[in-house]
Amino acid sequence: MGKKRSDIYSVEIHGTQDLEKTDKEDEEEKYKNLKGNKKKSKKTDDLKKELDLDDHKLSKEELEEKYTTSISKGLTSARAAEILARDGPNALTPPKSTPEIIKFLKQMVGGFSILLWVGALLCWIAFGIQIAQGVASAFDNLYLGVVLALVVILTGIFAYYQEAKSTNIMASFSKMIPQQALVIRDGEKKEVPAEQLVVGDMVEIKGGDRIPADIRLIFAQGCKVDNSSLTGESEPQSRSCDFTHENPLETKNIAFYSTTCLEGTATGMVISTGDHTIIGRIASLASGVGNEKTPIAIEIEHFVHIVAGVAVSIGVLFFIIAVSMKYKVLDSIIFLIGIIVANVPEGLLATVTVSLSLTAKRMAKKNCLVKNLEAVETLGSTSIICSDKTGTLTQNRMTVAHLWFDDQIYSADTSEEQTTQSFDQSSQSWAALSKIVTLCNRAEFKPGQENVPIMKRVVVGDASETALLKFAEVILGDVMGIRKRNRKLAEIPFNSTNKFQLSIHETEDPNDKRFLLVMKGAPERILERCSTIMINGEEQPLDRERAEAFQTAYMELGGLGERVLGFCHLYLPEDEFPDTYPFDTDSMNFPTSNLCFVGLLSMIDPPRSTVPDAVSKCRSAGIKVIMVTGDHPITAKAIAKSVGIISATSETVEDIAKRLNIPVEQVNKQDARAAVINGMELKDMTTEQLDEILINHSEIVFARTSPQQKLIIVEGCQRQDAVVAVTGDGVNDSPALKKADIGIAMGIAGSDAAKNAADMILLDDNFASIVTGVEEGRLIFDNLKKTIAYTLTKNIAELCPFLIYIIASIPLPIGTITILFIDLGTDIIPSVALAYEKAESDIMNRRPRHKKKDRLVNEQLAVYSYLQIGILQSVGAFLAYFTVYAEQGWLPNTLLGLRVNWEDDYYNDIEDSYGQEWTRYQRTYLQWSGYTAFFVSITIQQVADLIIRKTRRNSLFQQGLLRNKVIWLGIFSQIAIALILCYGLGSVTALNFTPLRVQYWFVAMPYAILIWVYDEIRKLFIRQYPGSWWDKNMYY
Amino acid sequence: MILIVPLLCVLHKAMEMNATSGGTEGQRDIYHQKPENKDEEGAQHSEDEQEKCKEKMGKKTLADVIQEMKTFLWNSEKRECMGRTAQSWGLILLFYLILYMFLAGMFSFCMYGLLLTLSPYTPTYRDRVSPPGVMIRPYLHGFTIAFNVSEPSTWTPYVNSMHHFLQAYDDNVQEEKNIECPAGQYFVQDGAESEEKKACQFKRSQLQNCSGIEDPTFGYSTGQPCILLKMNRIIGYRAGYGTPVSVNCAIQKGNESALKSVDFYPGNGTFDLMYYPYYGKLTHVNYTSPLVALHFTDVKKNDFVPIQCRLNGEGIVNDVTNDRFLGRITFTLSIGM
Repeated sequence: MGKKRSDIYSVEIHGTQDLEKTDKEDEEEKYKNLKGNKKKSKKTDDLKKELDLDDHKLSKEELEEKYTTSISKGLTSARAAEILARDGPNALTPPKSTPEIIKFLKQMVGGFSILLWVGALLCWIAFGIQIAQGVASAFDNLYLGVVLALVVILTGIFAYYQEAKSTNIMASFSKMIPQQALVIRDGEKKEVPAEQLVVGDMVEIKGGDRIPADIRLIFAQGCKVDNSSLTGESEPQSRSCDFTHENPLETKNIAFYSTTCLEGTATGMVISTGDHTIIGRIASLASGVGNEKTPIAIEIEHFVHIVAGVAVSIGVLFFIIAVSMKYKVLDSIIFLIGIIVANVPEGLLATVTVSLSLTAKRMAKKNCLVKNLEAVETLGSTSIICSDKTGTLTQNRMTVAHLWFDDQIYSADTSEEQTTQSFDQSSQSWAALSKIVTLCNRAEFKPGQENVPIMKRVVVGDASETALLKFAEVILGDVMGIRKRNRKLAEIPFNSTNKFQLSIHETEDPNDKRFLLVMKGAPERILERCSTIMINGEEQPLDRERAEAFQTAYMELGGLGERVLGFCHLYLPEDEFPDTYPFDTDSMNFPTSNLCFVGLLSMIDPPRSTVPDAVSKCRSAGIKVIMVTGDHPITAKAIAKSVGIISATSETVEDIAKRLNIPVEQVNKQDARAAVINGMELKDMTTEQLDEILINHSEIVFARTSPQQKLIIVEGCQRQDAVVAVTGDGVNDSPALKKADIGIAMGIAGSDAAKNAADMILLDDNFASIVTGVEEGRLIFDNLKKTIAYTLTKNIAELCPFLIYIIASIPLPIGTITILFIDLGTDIIPSVALAYEKAESDIMNRRPRHKKKDRLVNEQLAVYSYLQIGILQSVGAFLAYFTVYAEQGWLPNTLLGLRVNWEDDYYNDIEDSYGQEWTRYQRTYLQWSGYTAFFVSITIQQVADLIIRKTRRNSLFQQGLLRNKVIWLGIFSQIAIALILCYGLGSVTALNFTPLRVQYWFVAMPYAILIWVYDEIRKLFIRQYPGSWWDKNMYY
Repeated sequence: MILIVPLLCVLHKAMEMNATSGGTEGQRDIYHQKPENKDEEGAQHSEDEQEKCKEKMGKKTLADVIQEMKTFLWNSEKRECMGRTAQSWGLILLFYLILYMFLAGMFSFCMYGLLLTLSPYTPTYRDRVSPPGVMIRPYLHGFTIAFNVSEPSTWTPYVNSMHHFLQAYDDNVQEEKNIECPAGQYFVQDGAESEEKKACQFKRSQLQNCSGIEDPTFGYSTGQPCILLKMNRIIGYRAGYGTPVSVNCAIQKGNESALKSVDFYPGNGTFDLMYYPYYGKLTHVNYTSPLVALHFTDVKKNDFVPIQCRLNGEGIVNDVTNDRFLGRITFTLSIGM
């Protein structure tokens, strides 16, 4: 039974069997070689050892000797304990995880935290000095320090919480460990925890068990295992105690740890445990693959560097200036604090996180579950998608794709929701063929599914028969009824010698007393048994011409990567086979030759209907889609062609060779756009050759690949500076998923290990969801740019006051606490609102960003925000500041150089411009009014800034002011918070706000309008003169 | 506006700092700053290769970093300074010059407009400066008046300060510049705002024992120091609303007996109404604030005596926690014998 798949169903036209034999054998070595070139061998050294396994070749006696055990009695308990002590428990070692506290502390020092800690520390130093000097306002610094520390700690907790949500990859591997195992020790069967299994133990397994360790089978009966999580093979694999293959992964007498025994029973000897098992090695491979920094993390780091660079440079510069201007060092330190606080966008990192999680939520609604928040953007910058075939691109279910009868090929509908088939069904041949399909089939629907759509019904039977059953049910309806009416009298199921399936039925026609013999099987075998062929319902002799027609059709269907079956029948003559004829399947007392050939049916795991469209969208979005599959090259290529991964006009080197009729070696490799690479070829390639393939071919299919090779392919792509997305579902995909910039696991078909290694999970297993993800990712990148531009702008408006305060010695225009209220108060909701902004143009029609050239924060963005809009804002805010002071009696010229006297606590009768005398507190209160006015002005101008940041290129009128309602919520919140701070909390002295005269809210209004007009002009010129000096310098 | 060029440089430098620390990405980042390089992908590629080799060999040496920095500052091949050619710098600076000149112009215009709305005689709002604060003289620095009678050097600075302050109150100066006003009523001067206002005489001699005329040491030499108390000027403020504001002093905290007697001059320590209202320094040129002299004739010696003097009168606020100089003042006397 186990052999039927490879012998009957699979089509081996180009001798792929040979290819598959050796590839797995050497893959480890291959991996080692490739890695060796990169001088990165430390992790992979362990993997080299993988296949020095020869236990499958040994006889029982040799095994007994090798492991000093006895097949009948097992190990002694004492010996087992000894080995357990030597080898350790049979469990996967969890990776060395960083202690939670370290992770937490890491968050406390990442990003801007260091700068803010320095700020807080400086505050406390200043406080210490001032308290020693008895300065009355010393506590302000203490509070500020506390606030800064709080900001850091809260941001850290927030980030830590986000990180803690992403789960540990090893968790699922450990979940796979079977709890108990039935082991023979001291000659007795006993249940022991699987963790205590040791090499040499004899274990018994039965259907439904998880295999407790890597086991060499000694005895097996009808044993089948599900290796899908390990190798990606979706069909159950039979297991026996025979040595069938050199490669331990291929041979039938080894069962692997963590796979499931589906049916049958077996007894075997444990040959490796824990981390030495195959799955243990894949696990260590997966966890050994470092988690690459996501592109957005790199971008944010870059941005943090820029901001920190500016902060530190300006801070140090002005510290020096301040000291050389004869300010006291303590004062200079306080200036430094102000400059740091003003420069650091405290709320930004939290805002970015919130924006990302909003997108993640939006994507979850579209069936993309994002595990790692930063991965939201990664998909947007993805330039290569390495997609698994089965289940991702295809429906993961055999479906009848083509029929051949009456000397003609018909296509069947392979979509997910087929209800009818539209090919010509009028021919008598079809009637005959359909009868064979229906009757010569052992698959059955599980009862009680009458209301379930046919395609979704659960079937008992193997994949091909299921496909035929469903196909028949769709067209004929009530297959079970037909079978009842055509009672089955005898049946020969598949076996590997016959390579056919045969059954004999009564016919449903009461007048026809003949029996019907139906047969299906490997087409060439069926044809051998036929002497006639049915054409348009009539039997005609099977001459050479007809046989050639058959051959052509068979080749054509086989060439499509489809699994082809032949069907024939024979009405047994009534006289020879009367009613009571005793059919005996053992002696075959009925004819099995000179049958009538009826037709061919071919089946394939068809592509999902949404995939071709999704692939072409990826293409137009500049994303290269590479297929990486464990399947055969022909099937892989056929599917690749049908989904557009290899486009209709592209040729592989082999195709060109075939067309030109020249040897493959002579073909100019540059001519071939497409390439189908076999795992075996890949094995012999050097890194450079792989790079060459990845660069030169735009359409690539990798077939028969192993987990390690998937990893190599991903690394190859990453060497091209590509951002690589990998989709996959099996355990074997998990190293590649982990290595990829973004790993995408299938939610339905995916194994836990794959889901854990992935950053994103497609809940509906639908490749098309990736396109949505790409779109969202690109949008969020654009929008983060806008958010950052928005946030950075006001930093200059916060910084300038300090600089001018130091240089021109005016009363301080805005305080550090007030700055924090902007950064963490008014600006938060608007900057998040920008995440809701719609795309400006068709983001799916441009190339993915180059991760090293298209930065999140580029010079243009920083310069435009800092030196243009930022300065504009400062000017507007200063106007408000001067207005408040002037209207209270302090004209601008009086303010210049006033700082020392102004801040003198003892000087309580300073004359203003009008000769009035002010106490210190009166001045402070006025200073707070100044803060408030400055704050309000920044807020008002930030409204304008928010509106202009909606677009980077388009006019606001093109974008529409009302499309993003959240922006208006942002503006409303901004103003509301400012009103509350100003009028509601104006009496709380510690906050440094005062109720402001209403008219001061409007002072900066002209500048707000100017910001908007200026930006419209900027965008107009950018649109009008693309590529011009203006475009280069002003577009961010 | 002077800050712009340094800022621009700082920003460039920040980018560069990041670039050098970022290794490979940095190299490209510099490229990125020059969009005209887009068509030099090929050249860039080889550069990448070199970078890769370097990466393989390990971290960049300090010399590499310095070399990169040098190239950044002055790239002789492309004749670029900090990633821009002379022409590029010229253009960008010209652009910023124009932009900032425009901004400066707009700001000046707005300031000019603002100043136009202001009266030169009276500030638009006076709510922050009233009610009045209080100050004392002598004022050297701080509010501890500590001296030793037997050591003149400890009190001469105070005396000098008093003399200096009172120069403007010299009788002849006052008589020459200011007029005598009827006491006990506000000296309201109606008429055009721009008209010069007359000021009432406050002669030094009114301070009697504290005038420094008879005792040029203001009592410091005898351990009975004089301290002058002054109410802050506020334009248009009518102190006391018809009843003169008076002054009283007391020990702030502690032993009441430390301060046995204080003499107040002139009168009983009141600010006469005729000195109000004040019309601002532009028109009320010769205005001299009225004073109240506190003569501490019997204060505990050789001790720190904290004294608080308060103004009393209608409209005077002297109990705000935040402002310890609003309608009151606290100072410490420490007289050593």
